[in-house]
Amino acid sequence: MENEFVFSSDPAALDPATDPAASMMFPESNENEPEGLTFYHMDLYESKGRLEIFPEEPAGRGDGALGETSKESTGPGEDFGSSDQSAYDLEKEVDELTKLYGLDEDKEIDQELLGGNIATAGILESKETPAHNEGVAAGSYGSIYNAPKSSSPVNGSQHKKHMESTEEQELPGKDSQDESQHLHNARAYDELHNHASSKEELRSDDRQDEQSIQPNSEEEAADIYCATCKIPIRAFDKLFGDHKDHEVTQLGNAVESAKEEIQKNMCKLEEQVTEMENFASHLEEIFITVEENFGRQEQNFETHYNEVMQTLTQRYEEKVEGLGEEKKQKLEALYGQLVSCGENLDTCKELMETIQELCKDKEKADFIKAAVPVVDRLGEFLKKDMDLELSALPDFEDRVIDFADVQQLMDSINTIAAPSAPVINPQAPNSATGTSVRVCWGLFSDDTVEFYQLYYKQVSDDTPSEEQAELMLKVKEAYCTVTNLVPNTQYEFWVSALNTAGVSPVSERAVYVTAPSPPIIKRKERRSCENAALVCWESGNMNPVDSYTVELSILTNGENGDIITESIVGIPNCEALIQLEPGQSYIISVRAVNMGGPSERSEPVSIHTTGTYFYLNEDTAHPLLSVLEDGLTIACSEIENLECDLSFRDNGFTRCIAILGSMIPFQGKHYWEVEVDENMEYRVGVAFENTHRHGYLGANSSSWCMRHIVTPARHKYEFLHSGTTPDIRITIPPKRIGILLDYDNWKLSFFNLDIAQHLYTFNSHFQHYVHPCFALEKPGFLRIRNGIAMPASITLL
Amino acid sequence: MLRPALVFPPRFRLLRHRGPPAPEVPYFCIKIERSQPAEIMALKQISSNKCFEGFQKVFEHDSIELKCKMRFGIYLPPKAEIGKCPVLYWLSGLTCTEQNFITKSGFHQAAAEHGLIVVAPDTSPRGCNIEGEDESWDFGTGAGFYVDATEEPWKTNYRMYSYIKDELPKLIKANFPADSERMSIFGHSMGGHGALILALKNPGKYKSVSAFAPICNPVQCPWGKKAFGGYLGSDLTKWEAYDATHLVKSYPDSHLDILIDQGKDDQFLSAGQLLPDNFIAACTERKIPVVFRLQQGYDHSYFFIATFVNDHIRHHAKYLNA
Repeated sequence: MENEFVFSSDPAALDPATDPAASMMFPESNENEPEGLTFYHMDLYESKGRLEIFPEEPAGRGDGALGETSKESTGPGEDFGSSDQSAYDLEKEVDELTKLYGLDEDKEIDQELLGGNIATAGILESKETPAHNEGVAAGSYGSIYNAPKSSSPVNGSQHKKHMESTEEQELPGKDSQDESQHLHNARAYDELHNHASSKEELRSDDRQDEQSIQPNSEEEAADIYCATCKIPIRAFDKLFGDHKDHEVTQLGNAVESAKEEIQKNMCKLEEQVTEMENFASHLEEIFITVEENFGRQEQNFETHYNEVMQTLTQRYEEKVEGLGEEKKQKLEALYGQLVSCGENLDTCKELMETIQELCKDKEKADFIKAAVPVVDRLGEFLKKDMDLELSALPDFEDRVIDFADVQQLMDSINTIAAPSAPVINPQAPNSATGTSVRVCWGLFSDDTVEFYQLYYKQVSDDTPSEEQAELMLKVKEAYCTVTNLVPNTQYEFWVSALNTAGVSPVSERAVYVTAPSPPIIKRKERRSCENAALVCWESGNMNPVDSYTVELSILTNGENGDIITESIVGIPNCEALIQLEPGQSYIISVRAVNMGGPSERSEPVSIHTTGTYFYLNEDTAHPLLSVLEDGLTIACSEIENLECDLSFRDNGFTRCIAILGSMIPFQGKHYWEVEVDENMEYRVGVAFENTHRHGYLGANSSSWCMRHIVTPARHKYEFLHSGTTPDIRITIPPKRIGILLDYDNWKLSFFNLDIAQHLYTFNSHFQHYVHPCFALEKPGFLRIRNGIAMPASITLL
Repeated sequence: MLRPALVFPPRFRLLRHRGPPAPEVPYFCIKIERSQPAEIMALKQISSNKCFEGFQKVFEHDSIELKCKMRFGIYLPPKAEIGKCPVLYWLSGLTCTEQNFITKSGFHQAAAEHGLIVVAPDTSPRGCNIEGEDESWDFGTGAGFYVDATEEPWKTNYRMYSYIKDELPKLIKANFPADSERMSIFGHSMGGHGALILALKNPGKYKSVSAFAPICNPVQCPWGKKAFGGYLGSDLTKWEAYDATHLVKSYPDSHLDILIDQGKDDQFLSAGQLLPDNFIAACTERKIPVVFRLQQGYDHSYFFIATFVNDHIRHHAKYLNA
């Protein structure tokens, strides 16, 4: 690096050696030398531009090169091969140098370096070729043309990205200068009419620390790179100069590998930058958090210390007051005692004086007379107990001042208060799945919380709530996704917050509900017509759900089943009549929805809106009539009289060996076909859903049917309604009967499909929706075909 | 999408710009006189009445086949003003003229809806001054029986079969916007017989055929015996060539959908003039598709026809408009 830097800072020495084309570039670079970056840019654009130009170049040349070029595939490997080949041709004509280092090795390294290197190689060759070998020119151009075509976009962008990142990161000028030096060299090299092979190279991986300064005063510019000395040298030097035994590599290759290494480092730097940026933003967050937390703590201290001070003041005042009271009491007591003491003293003195006075009296009688009361009085006085005890002690009681509460307050300054009860949120819509709910809660205050305890239990009507197991989760955040729950079930949640100081009271209880299980579409019971489909499903849930959503997607060309083209929401029941477009295929699925959200999609069913599709309602079937596996063939194996034991059947036909189909309740036209044996006896037609189960089809006003019986004379066809039939003879017994129910025109028509013959039309204003009905009057079978388009031959009627 | 403006056929456009034509000289006439030699077919309009947005007209012309003036009724549905329409021929029964069907059956609405031209010719040549032609109602005038007579004195004029089969369609095609590829035929009683034999003798010519109370087996019934004896002589094989029940037996298995309505209280049914059972039996045997409807309480009148004429028009429209 050092070495190169020195070299690049002194290109003046190199310039005179270059040819005019090269030197045209250099004055500018000389002038801009101190501003390595500027120079760098120039070079960048130049080289990039050159790479872009190349693919267009052959278009201008009309020679054979074009043809050859276009034939070649543009895979990098092959491109390399061809460029290698052309290089080989050249090498034959130039020095022995090439042979010294061998092509195989060359190839390996080139492949390692892939596109970038190839591009450079190509460029180099293009410069050489015209000067030396016209014959090789074609091949050479071809390879040149190809190599950039495949590799230049990568190469160019790499360069560009590389450069930009270098610039952005404002790396030290030395680095960019260093980089520029590589390019600079490459460019210089390009411009040279170098006889040496472009494929010359030396391994650059085992660089040595030895440094030797390239002599700059040579006439020729450096063209190869001495890996040992890490300086560019002239090929001549390799042979005869100081670098004779050194390992050399092609200068271009050296440049490329150096670039690559730098680029690798760049990437690392970029990664580091990203990392640092992330760390910085993390630090910022922490900074803010610390600020907030300490602010909070300051407030906390302030309030708590204030509290303590107040308590102390109060305590002081209380004490002082108490002391005063006591002092007063004691003084009063002492004073009282003093007063009574003085009184007694006075009494004593008076008594003494009285006695002394008495003793002075000489008269005996008077004396006695006077002495008696005095003696009594004295005796009385002396009888009184002299109270000489202190009524109050002079010293005050040694009262213990209780600082426990203060202590507690003091303690609480450093510990945090236990949090208050959290507030649990009501369930957010669509936040649940079948087995999980997302529970959220919050705190009113800024309580510090270490974690929450989330309790929950299933709410059930069946088992008393006490018996339900209570479960508890420890949660750090103020939300939790509780899993492993039962679908479409209510759960009660409550939460308490914890920190080192203790546990908060529990929150209110909130009821959350899990999303339902997906419904199960009754696949067999789907019905459709040209313009609508009726889909029924089972809830799939024990508890009721709020509603159902039907999702349908139109099938085009057999694909696209995943794109939901329409959703029908808020369906309260387990069935939906969906309007559709005729002649399409749809995929329909259902979701159950409750407060918690929608269930998974049900298994889908496909609906084809071609013709009318109905199914046979086997509940209505006469016991002798069976529906075969295809669901649309009815058979009867023997006729016997079962009437007696059929009374318990509430929905099945008991007399007529018949069955009802379930058709979509939809206006418009409905068409289906019946295939029968010519000699089969049957009734086919339509009936109201509640048609008499104990009567025969066509014998009442709730059914319309075509009946076929075989009489000895002929096939007899009846078109029965309310037990009457027009007298109609049909010369060809139909084998395929088309039945067209047309609600719009109040018609029910029968056709012999084989000959497109109209047989009969009932004109009847159907007051309710009717259903297809089929009956057999002798052993045999009858096949129903539905979901088919109406044949054109009968559409006119 | 842009729909191209409707382009009227030039003659209609011309007519409109020319102003009202002289009533007695219909534009058809003018056209014919220009396009075809006048000596072949000259149509004279007898009447024209607007009906269900179309026109019920009656024309008279000199028939080459019958060598007399013949009239026919023609209903032109509104659709005929913008393009060619299929033609449905109606053959009336004994004693009828071209007027009965067009005045009594009430077929116009259905024909207008389905866009059918309905042509109702007369039932026999008239005014030919053949001895005995007006003697009875079931022979001679009004009782042509749709045969080509071979016996004197009838064979010159009484060629109703050829008239209906060839001359009339040619005339219609030349003068009206008729699609000659699409035609059907139906009729009543003797006309029903005519319709059946024309259809059965010319497989593929008529797209469909239907009949009200047709004389199904004239060889076996009094009317047929009288008429055939008179027109065709005593050779029964000649008779059978005009007998529907016999014709069915040799009818090639080509597609023909036959609809027959028969009043159950028809006095001629019980009199053994119509004999539908024979025809049905033959059709059943030969697998010719027939829907035969025996209508409870109906007689042989036009009231019966009017009741079911829409079904028949629809039956034909199904094939003619397919």
